[in-house]
Formats: sequence, structure tokens, C-alpha cells
Amino acid sequence: MTIKSKLVIAAIGLSFLSTPVLAENIKVGFNVPLTGFAASDGKSARNGAELAVEQINSAGGINGDKLELVIYDDQASPKEAVPIAQKLIEKDGVIAAVSGSYSGSTRAAAGIFQEAGVPYISAFAIHPEITRAGNFVFRTSFVGEVQGRAGAKLVGETLGLKRAVIITLKNDFGKSLAAGFKEAAAKFGVEVAAEYEYSIKDRQFGPIVSKVKSDKPDVIYASGYFFTAGPLVSQLRAAGITVPVIGQEGYDSQKFIDIAGPASEGTIITTSLDRDSSVAETKDFIAAFEKRSGQKSDMVAASAHTAIKVLAAALKSSGSKDRAALRDAIAATKITASTGEISFNDLGEVQKSVQVQIVKDGNWHHHSVIDDAELLAPPSK
Amino acid sequence: MLYLELLFQGIVQGSIYALIALGLTLVYGLLRILHVAHAALFTLGGYLGVLITNATGSLGLAMAVSMVVVGFVGIGVYKFAYEPLLSKPPFIALIASIALFIASEEIFRIVFGPYGLSYLNPPLQGSFELFEGFYLKYGEALVIGVSVLMLSILGWLSMNTRMGVSWRATVLDPDMARAFGVNIQNVRYLNFFVGSALAAAAGVLVALLNNLVEPTMGSVPSYKALAIIVLGGLGSIRGTLVASMSLGIIESFGTIYLGHFLDRDALAFGFLILVLMFRPQGLLGAK
Repeated sequence: MTIKSKLVIAAIGLSFLSTPVLAENIKVGFNVPLTGFAASDGKSARNGAELAVEQINSAGGINGDKLELVIYDDQASPKEAVPIAQKLIEKDGVIAAVSGSYSGSTRAAAGIFQEAGVPYISAFAIHPEITRAGNFVFRTSFVGEVQGRAGAKLVGETLGLKRAVIITLKNDFGKSLAAGFKEAAAKFGVEVAAEYEYSIKDRQFGPIVSKVKSDKPDVIYASGYFFTAGPLVSQLRAAGITVPVIGQEGYDSQKFIDIAGPASEGTIITTSLDRDSSVAETKDFIAAFEKRSGQKSDMVAASAHTAIKVLAAALKSSGSKDRAALRDAIAATKITASTGEISFNDLGEVQKSVQVQIVKDGNWHHHSVIDDAELLAPPSK
Repeated sequence: MLYLELLFQGIVQGSIYALIALGLTLVYGLLRILHVAHAALFTLGGYLGVLITNATGSLGLAMAVSMVVVGFVGIGVYKFAYEPLLSKPPFIALIASIALFIASEEIFRIVFGPYGLSYLNPPLQGSFELFEGFYLKYGEALVIGVSVLMLSILGWLSMNTRMGVSWRATVLDPDMARAFGVNIQNVRYLNFFVGSALAAAAGVLVALLNNLVEPTMGSVPSYKALAIIVLGGLGSIRGTLVASMSLGIIESFGTIYLGHFLDRDALAFGFLILVLMFRPQGLLGAK
């Protein structure tokens, strides 16, 4: 055998050795309501999360490995979320998971992930108990109370309005918002004249509208999702009530404007996504989301996108497949994402400023920013 | 003034309940089936109303087409879901009905998307002053007008036409009616057509008030209409109307004055329990 042929054989041998055994995908779980009453938010959240994964993979993945979403439909129901969490941990062996769902299911799943030592990030579920499941659970959105306090500041200080009527959606979302608002109202000189409650199934608010009209408030602080807030705001306006309506991130969808139509003009909300942002990450997200899904971006999509980006950043920096190391990396994450500057406190709650948006000419636009670290401090234990 | 407005809101809500619950009570009166899937026809009516209004710009046309189409779908539901089960115990048909209803929510979601639909140019959004300080929305006035009109027409038809008489005879005693040459099959078809068409009208009107139709819009009517027909005395048409109005008005005041203790939906069942304790046959049911 000549030296040349030896070299060829050696080269072939080497090439076998260096060929990677097909890059292993990094699996990340994602529970999201794709059927049932929350399916519309679920679809947006899924689109936001998938966009983030595509962006991460096309930019080289996680240190060369591709990110892969394992998606299950939890119907926003706790009894679906528990077996899904178990399946993600045991069958799919995910390194971490993200919730693109509401509080009920996220809270139920959080305990399972904590017990198994699998990092879990809640993208937009707001119940305070979620992160209290333990140190493996994080949240990239505001807890309800924080956003409620921001609402009180918006009403009393930014808008200078004094007499508020609260219309509360009777679930953990609405109740925690109302609690935060009432807690901070006095501090900003806002008097709560009355509070009414409605159920998530209500779309007709005739009696509440009549009563609010007779209360003659300066401002209405109404919690809800776009599918309840759209009918509510349009019915308030149709009854001749013209005072400002203050909403929250649940309104944050183009669908709210479609439903309420011209009545939506001037509605102001506290949320996480600034449509007129000059931050590159936010502008990129808004453009890419609209191009990919053919619809306008919304809060849930941006929040799911943010949660995946946080996880990807932590995977990159921890560099290992070790879940405890990944947990530490998430806790130490500091990134700029589509919903702003993200960092976490000791409980795993996000620390970021609240974006205030207003409906103008049929679109959400920048109104102001509430950036009061003391007021917005999330619970830390 | 506030009490008057609350009363009026109660009547609007009661009219919608009446349109929905009537179809249910018609079916129960005739076949002794609890027709849960009726609420799916209400949703379908709402969707068709919005789609046709957006395509043609005419709410009247949308209402008419929606009622006719949903009426025929109602006949289809009877033909394919209930007729094969008539010889079985009634709970079998109830199970079929519930299954149909659950499936329909997801079918609406797959066909029309999860976000729901709205009128592009919502019709009848303005209001007018009925008397000093009392404003009436056109949409709400239409709800009451349409309900009164349809129920009057229906009442007149059942009393003054051959079809109406044979329908009443069949409800009273199917075997006797058959012996007298009434075509029972046609009566059943008519029954489902009329009940479903009324539900469709309710769907279009609710879509108008909320400017939103969504896959799950039938979920509340599905059980509340059941409560209403039990309240009214199963199968009693007058009882159903009385129960619908009472419930609408109770809910209207209850939302404001009891809202912190009792959910709006809980009120319906609280009222139901209260009535059944003293009148187990319902408000106007026969003993």
C-alpha cells in the first residue's frame, strides 16, 4: 500500500469520526389552549412562540443545536394541564417548558414542573401563586396586582381623574387587577365609587351599563379580555357614556378594535407591548409576526415570543443540558426582548416597565410608559 | 329612571331567552327530548347573520336567510341524530344531543377560526330618546320588536291554520292525531324548522348587540334555556315565555344588587330551585 492510499484511508476514517451523529434537537415543552374558550389567545401565543423558535434556529440555534417546540393543547383547563406536564417531563423529556396559557392551567402545571426540577416559564398567566410553586418557575409578564397598581397611577397621576367605577371580570385575572388598583388608588387620589362584577361568559352588560351611567364616574377601570371588553366598551359608548375606559393587557388585540369598532377609539390600556416602540427587538417582532401570521401582533404573541427568547438566552449561556444549571441561567438572564428589558427577582417574577397604549384611528398606539420601580415591584416571596 | 332602565334591559334579555327557549320547549313537548344541541343552531344562526350581512350589507336579508338555512339544519339534526334514537330511552337522545353540541363548538372553531367574527359595519348602533332622559338603542328595540312579532305570528298560525291545528293535536296526543290522519312526520319537521329558525333569529340579534359571534357563544344558552323550560313547566309554551321574561328581569336587577354574592348564571338556578320547591310542575306547567 502506498503512502498516498494510506492517507486516503486515514482521511476517510477521520471524516467518519468528525461527522456529527445528526445534531440533537433541544426539546422545549409548550402548553397552550388551541381548543375551547381561550383558543383565540392560544393561536396567537403559538404563533409568537413558533416565530421565536424559527428566529433562534435560523440564527444558528443554541450553540449549534436546533430548538424544537413540543406543543400540547391544554384548553386552558387545569385538569388537562397536569397530564400534559407529566407527559412533557416523562415521555418527551423536555429540558424546560413554557406556558402559553391562562392562570388556571399554568398554576396546576407549575407544581409538577417544580417537583421534577424542570424550569417552567409562564408567558402571560398572571396569578401570583404560579411562581410560588418554587424556584424552577418563572414569569415574563406582570402579576395582576402590579398591573392594577400601574392602572391606578395612570388614572390618578397621568390622566388626573378622581372618581372611578370598577368593572371586574370575576376570575383570578380580573380580581387581582382590581385588588392592585384599589390598593394603590388612594395613593394617587382616586376614589372608587362602585365596583361591579361579571362572569367570563357574559357578553351583554346592559344592567351594569345602566348602573354605571347613573353613577356618573370620571373614569371606568374595566378588566377583561378582548372578547368581553369589546362588547362592554361598545355597549358603554352606545349608552352615551363618554368618560375614558381604562383596560389592561387582556384588551391587547386587534380583535378588540374590530369588535368595538369606532367605540374603541380613545380606550387606554396597561400592557407589555409598545406598538410604536423604537427598540429594535420590538420593531422586529411586530414586523416579523405580521409577515408570518398575516395578522396584527398582540400581547399574548409578544409574551410567548419573549418567554422563548429568555429560555434560549439561558440555554446558550448555561451551555449544558443540566436543568439545575439552566434554572440558574434563567434567574440571571438580562435581555432585551419584544416586551422590553427582562430580568427576574428572587421569586422569578419579571421586572420591567408597563407600556400604556391607546386606540387611535383603529390601531393601538403609544400613550405613555409607567416606569416606577417601587410601584411596579413584583412580590418577592 | 335607573329601575326603569334595568327593567328594560331585563326585557331585552328576556326576549332573547324566549326566542331560544321556545324551540327547546317545542321539541320537548313533542318528543320528550332535551335538545341541548339547540344552542349550536343559535350559534350557527349568529355566524350566518354576520357573514351574510358583511357580504351583502343587508341585515334583513341576513336574518331571513339565516332563519331558513338554520331551520333546515334543525330538520337535519332531527332526521340524523334523533329519529334513529326515538325507540330508545330519552337519555340516549340527550347524550347524542350533548355530543352534537360539544362537537359543534369545535367545528365552528375549525371552520370560522378561533377569533370569532364581527360585523364590519355594525348596523343599528345608534339610539333614540323614547321620552325625557330614557334612551333606547336601535338594536335593543329591534330585539323586542322581532321577538314580539315572531311569537305573535307563531301564535296566530298555531290557532288559525290546518298545520297549526295538527301540530297542537300531535303535541296533545300523537296516537290520536295519527288516527285522525295527521302526518306526524311533517309535524316533527315543522317543529324543528320553526324552533331552529327562532334560535337563528336570536343568534343574529345577539350578534348585533355584542358585535361578536364566537364558537362558544352557545355555551350559556345551552344550559340556561334548559333551566327556563323547566322553570316554565316542561313543554308549556306560555310558561316558557313567562319564565324567560322573569329570568331576564331577575338577572338584570340581580347583576347590580346581588352581583357580589351570586353570579348572574347562579341566579337562574337559584330562582329555579326556589320555584320548584313550591311548584314542582313549574310556573305554568300542568300538574
